[in-house]
This record gives sequence, structure tokens and C-alpha cells, in this order.
Amino acid sequence: MERYLRNHDAISLDEQEKLASKRVLIVGCGGLGGMVIECLARIGVGHMRVVDGDVFEESNLNRQLLCSGMNLGRPKTLAAQQRVMAVNPLVEVDAVQADLTVENALELLEGCDAAVDCLDGIPARLILQQAAKAAGIPMVHGAVAGWNGRVCVIQPGEDLLNLLYTDFGETQGEEQQAGTLSFTAALTASWQAAETVKLLLGKPGLQGEILEVDLLQASVTKIKVA
Amino acid sequence: MIKVNTEDYPWYPGMTVRVLLDEKLFTFRHIIVRVNGEFVPEEDYEKHPIQDGDDVLVLHLMAGG
Repeated sequence: MERYLRNHDAISLDEQEKLASKRVLIVGCGGLGGMVIECLARIGVGHMRVVDGDVFEESNLNRQLLCSGMNLGRPKTLAAQQRVMAVNPLVEVDAVQADLTVENALELLEGCDAAVDCLDGIPARLILQQAAKAAGIPMVHGAVAGWNGRVCVIQPGEDLLNLLYTDFGETQGEEQQAGTLSFTAALTASWQAAETVKLLLGKPGLQGEILEVDLLQASVTKIKVA
Repeated sequence: MIKVNTEDYPWYPGMTVRVLLDEKLFTFRHIIVRVNGEFVPEEDYEKHPIQDGDDVLVLHLMAGG
């Protein structure tokens, strides 16, 4: 198919078909989620369930791919669905305008091959990790603050987020002071999308490692933690 | 020698978490420190000793999306 011509041979024809059969849950359609959705739609992941309870605000314009002056006040999930339809109508999008909660997490994960954590608060991220573990589904975590980004792949039971967050009891991190920059979100999200595609295709990816990106220092570090 | 985020780092007697953070220039206001897997709260940075051979994990607290 001509649409996917430039995916090859980095992605084989068999792998292309495999991607079309996969379903991914993306939780959060903001700075990270918007770019993850864009990348997965363009590469040809067949089914996406996109979840976010928010509407766009003016402060999202500095970094969120799906946010424009035209859709302020409108649901992020609607913008995600419209964007995917415009970019790749072969991709089926199930848009859920809701916050992830303990009550709905397992239902949202149902039928998915992977979950992508594009959330912006600590409690919801921990809920997603717990639910993904219970469902036996791998999860790709991403987080940003200022010039810094982080990605890790969490296989069910690894609980890597407990290393990053648990002892604090805080709901937000450094991003409250440092803000979030467009290129940090785009780079981190792109890395999340790549790890997600590798998971879907059974290719080796990050394993028991935390990937740290510092765009101010132009450095990338992999920290082995498991 | 100690490990800091899986990389070797020279150790010397008297080293504390605070000394290490200052030397490594960890500048974020919100930092997570674990020594041999055990979380060290910020109020203990000055008094928590780093021993030769310790495995230290220092991460910025980040949750933006």
C-alpha cells in the first residue's frame, strides 16, 4: 500500500500487517499523547483507544500538537479522533472523554495490546500501572518537565513507577515550576511511540531501564534499575 | 567507588547524600534519592552517609504530559 511505502523496510510487510491488527490504549491526549497518537496513526497501528477528560485551553498551545486556536474549549479526544481521521482513515479510533480512574481503568484496557501513559499527574499514572499489571498488558511511560524527558517500558509486575514516585505522596513534579516545552514533549512522545511499536512487533526495547533525556545538556542516559 | 545511576563514581569517607547531589549538580527542586534501593527523604540528605560500594539512584521528579 502506497501510504506505508516509506515505512519499508524498517517495517516489513508482515510487520505492517501485524501493526494493523493491534490495539493501543493512549491515556492523555495532551503534549505527549497528541504526538504519540500522531506517530502511531501514521505508522499504521490499526486501533487506538484515546482517553482524556479535558478540553483544550490556551496554555496548551505552546506544545500540544492537537491544540489549535480553532479548538480551544473542545474535548481533546475529539481533536484526536478528527486528526487521525484526517491523517489515516484506516485507523479506528475509540475516543473516551473521561479521566482514568480505579473504576474504569480495567475496562479501558480491555482488548488492548499495550498502554501508553501520557498522563500529567502522579496518582493516575499509578492507577494505570496497577490496572495494566492486573490485565497483563505492558505499558510505556513518559513524563516531561522543562528540558527533561523520561521514558520507560513497564512489563506487568515490574512496577517501575514505584521507583519514580511512590514515597513522595505528591501529585505533580518539577513541571509545576519548570513548565513543559514543545520539543521536550515531542521528543519524549516520539520515543514512547517507538517503544510501543517495538512492543507490538516483539522487537527488543527498553527493559528494566529508565531513559533520561536532557535537551538543555543534549544528553541521553539509560539507567538500569531492574 | 560507588554507583550513581549505574555509572561508577569515586567515593571518599564523609560523603553524604547532600555532598553527592552538590557534586553531581542535580539542580531540580524535586529529586528522588534511593541508596541501595531505599528512599532517602530530603530532610535526611545532610546526615545520610554514602558508604563505599553503595548503589545510588538520583532521579528528578517529573510527571508532566
